[in-house]
Amino acid sequence: MESLTNIVAMTVLWATLTTLIVLILAIPLGYSLARYDFYGKQVLATLTSLPLVLPPTAVGYLLLRLLADDGALGFLDALLSWKGILIACSIMSLPLVVRTARVSFEGVDPRLEQMSRTLGRSRWQTFRAITLPLASRGLIAAAILGFTRAMGEFGATIIVAGNIPGRTQTLASAIYSAQQSGNTQRANLLLLVALLVGFVAVFLSEWLSRPAKGGRA
Amino acid sequence: MSEQRWQIRLQLQQQQFTLKLDCSSTARVLGIFGPSGSGKTTCLESIAGLRPPAAGYLACGKYIWFDSKQALSLHPEQRGIGYVPQEHLLFPHLSARQNLQYGTQRSQDAAALLQEVIEVLDLSNLDRPIDQLSGGERQRIALGRALCSGPQALLLDEPLASLDATLRLRILPFLIKMRQRFNIPMLVVSHNPLELQALCDDVIALRNGEVIAQGTPITVFTNSDIYGSASAEGFENLLTGNVREHTAHSTSLALAPGQTGPSLTLLRQNSAIGSPLTISIPANDILIATESIHGLSARNRLPATIQQIQTLAGKVILTAAIKGVQATPLVVELTPDAIEELNLTLGSAVDLIIKSSSIAVYS
Repeated sequence: MESLTNIVAMTVLWATLTTLIVLILAIPLGYSLARYDFYGKQVLATLTSLPLVLPPTAVGYLLLRLLADDGALGFLDALLSWKGILIACSIMSLPLVVRTARVSFEGVDPRLEQMSRTLGRSRWQTFRAITLPLASRGLIAAAILGFTRAMGEFGATIIVAGNIPGRTQTLASAIYSAQQSGNTQRANLLLLVALLVGFVAVFLSEWLSRPAKGGRA
Repeated sequence: MSEQRWQIRLQLQQQQFTLKLDCSSTARVLGIFGPSGSGKTTCLESIAGLRPPAAGYLACGKYIWFDSKQALSLHPEQRGIGYVPQEHLLFPHLSARQNLQYGTQRSQDAAALLQEVIEVLDLSNLDRPIDQLSGGERQRIALGRALCSGPQALLLDEPLASLDATLRLRILPFLIKMRQRFNIPMLVVSHNPLELQALCDDVIALRNGEVIAQGTPITVFTNSDIYGSASAEGFENLLTGNVREHTAHSTSLALAPGQTGPSLTLLRQNSAIGSPLTISIPANDILIATESIHGLSARNRLPATIQQIQTLAGKVILTAAIKGVQATPLVVELTPDAIEELNLTLGSAVDLIIKSSSIAVYS
């Protein structure tokens, strides 16, 4: 049986990597959805939110088909590996992170960005000096939400990556295994760790979501 | 004929009308006057590059910012324009100093310019967050931020509109000082004739997106089509002078150089002898006398000559030049009966009677 510390450490590592991947995608996506009107905007917004309403097993099955040797993403060789965990967790976390990032960017008065441009700063310089700092609390909250979602992901992950102790077992799948095998003590301990991590993350997220300076009236 | 400095031609569809401007001016400080919704702010935003017009040509001196015929439209950061919006829009996560320094990367001598701006706008305690600044300080930081960016032109959108009456009296002198110290072309948009009289050499009046008059402030504001909206809150005459002397209860303001020229008696001020003061006098607080009157409580009696008499909406608007003063003539509101009874005509010599307490001092 894999050690508890190892399971928690690996789960935290995978959740952290997932959060980084998702932030790289969610920041430009959230900003574009908040600031621009473009062709296909509604479709893009719907697609990014879709994993939120689909059963995780459905997402897992779809990924399984795509990542299979004969699938469109078969070259990634991600099935039953840590890569599969990152892909499944990223897809499942993306909607929450994009939505929170979008709201954070919408909370930054676009006229402040315009002022920055008139003062000689380019679009990118303005994004770094004005938009990002003013949206930062919301973005940190988004990252925490993404992290907790990745920590707790089960349905899609188990289909794509399996539940291989020492290789692809996460906190969520370890609880499932412990409960299935009747190891109540281990299941309770894992539950306690999951509760603790979840509480701290959501508390931080709520605290960071307080109204910030520079929000639109 | 001198070269046109400002060239503003633009066409932009608005919700209620099409903004169509075609004007030019040699003035360094140009004003745009009009009621709310007349397209003033849209015009400024177009010039600043925040709302490109459908067609047109926007330039100031040698700088061409937009030319639809050449498919030229510079980005806002390429225009070198300092824009001061009505709401100030200071960056909330930066201190007052960081706000001032935000645009200094494009100025030639940033440190010296920052020092000059701090001195002219009388700024202090700059390391405070901006939510600890008063309304007047915010306005001055917004002006300073635009100036510190070393702009080729400065756009001011309703610079006093967001301030209460007391703050307006305090901030206007800063704007006047700024105009004098920084030799930058300025475009000032306002619905307040007083601001435009104080700052502008030339004024354009807009209505429903079109130019209806252009000229010196006094010419535009006494235009029969405009006086009604310019005097909605009571027309104010603006004068500047230098403090000549103080007595126990009053201050004498010289309206012309020298010790013997015409002067105004104001309520006692604290300004130093010789220092400049800007004052305003409501047009309906000035009395006209055609003969000598004795035993009068009003402290000011200025000899003047009537230059213009117009009847507008039941009121007679008279402009009179104060003898011995080069400044803009004063506007006086009278009733038609008064004109008839006093037999006032163009060129008549009259005395303007003004109470000291009717004079507002901007300091």
